[in-house]
Amino acid sequence: MKKLLSILKHLFTPHKSNRHRSKLIHHDMLTSYLLFAIILTFGVYHVQQTNGSILGFATDISNAKLLDLTNKERAKSNLPELKYNLKLEEAAMKKAQNMFAQNYWSHYGPNGETPWQFVLQSGYQYEYAGENLAKNFLFSDGVVAAWMNSPTHRENILRKEYTDVGFAVLNGVLNGEETTLVVQMFAKPLYGSISGSPTQSSNTNNINKENESGEAVLNTKNANENKNNFYSVFVNINVIFFIILICALILDFYLASKLNLIHLKGKNIIHIIFLATLSAAIYFIIKGTIV
Amino acid sequence: MLKEIKKEFKKNLFDYLLFLTACIVFIIALTIFQGERTIEFAIVAAFIAFYISWGIYHHIIDNTLRLKVVLEYVLIGFTTLFLLKILIIP
Repeated sequence: MKKLLSILKHLFTPHKSNRHRSKLIHHDMLTSYLLFAIILTFGVYHVQQTNGSILGFATDISNAKLLDLTNKERAKSNLPELKYNLKLEEAAMKKAQNMFAQNYWSHYGPNGETPWQFVLQSGYQYEYAGENLAKNFLFSDGVVAAWMNSPTHRENILRKEYTDVGFAVLNGVLNGEETTLVVQMFAKPLYGSISGSPTQSSNTNNINKENESGEAVLNTKNANENKNNFYSVFVNINVIFFIILICALILDFYLASKLNLIHLKGKNIIHIIFLATLSAAIYFIIKGTIV
Repeated sequence: MLKEIKKEFKKNLFDYLLFLTACIVFIIALTIFQGERTIEFAIVAAFIAFYISWGIYHHIIDNTLRLKVVLEYVLIGFTTLFLLKILIIP
């Protein structure tokens, strides 16, 4: 215990052992943080280039999580849950592919493409249909939260007429920029039509996709779920790293001024404000945009 | 500690106000360009460049500019730039 305390003292407070400057903000430590950040940046880039399926730039968004969150929002309003529909998923995927191919970010394409044509092309005859779009989010909950904060998107999610839903999460280059698009298609099949099938119940921690004959062919909990942890862990590590650095700077500033230590160093207050601002910025960075 | 912070702010009021203004502009710019990865990265890079420039400017005025001091701003600035780059352009 005593040893641990002395290590913490050495790391966080100005002391004889660290030449009266918190060890965590010594130049050698700052250099090692930078080296670590560089290695991590190029490591992530290298892994993506050699094996995109591990990370990809799709980040932490999965169909299963989106469906789960959407149905949770509907449940809060006492609405029946939406069933996952593979035809709507196909329509959403076609829409996302079309946006990349035609280079647009809108519900309507430059050549007059409408969301409804993708639904009909997938073989789904609808009575009601709707579409929500999102791009460049890092996490599924951010996507659904942004939709719920927008009256029109919220209306789509909470529309009682809808019975089915399908999602597509697709990476590509839009306007010269690597982009992750999320397309959410809602619909209710035309009365008496059988084209709404196949559907899946939303008990989706583990959605098994089925083909027309009902045979399970793929697990939607897919590779995305494996990718997911990386970014959520990385965001947490970033925030913790900034907090630890801020604590060391605060303690160093407090004790140095209390003990009247004179050092030739940068301004701790500015470092603290800078790191705190960047920590706040992470909140905005992990969010994308909706239309 | 508050007394020390007050003293420090009073002594360099313009410098600190300038930096705080930059922080507010930075956050506003990020909210405006939310979801535009390239622009977001440019905004973050510009803010970090401002932070390093502020450090150099302030220590020149303060007559305490040394390589060691500049290095401190550069190391912190570039570490954060690389860490945030992974989040902005995954």
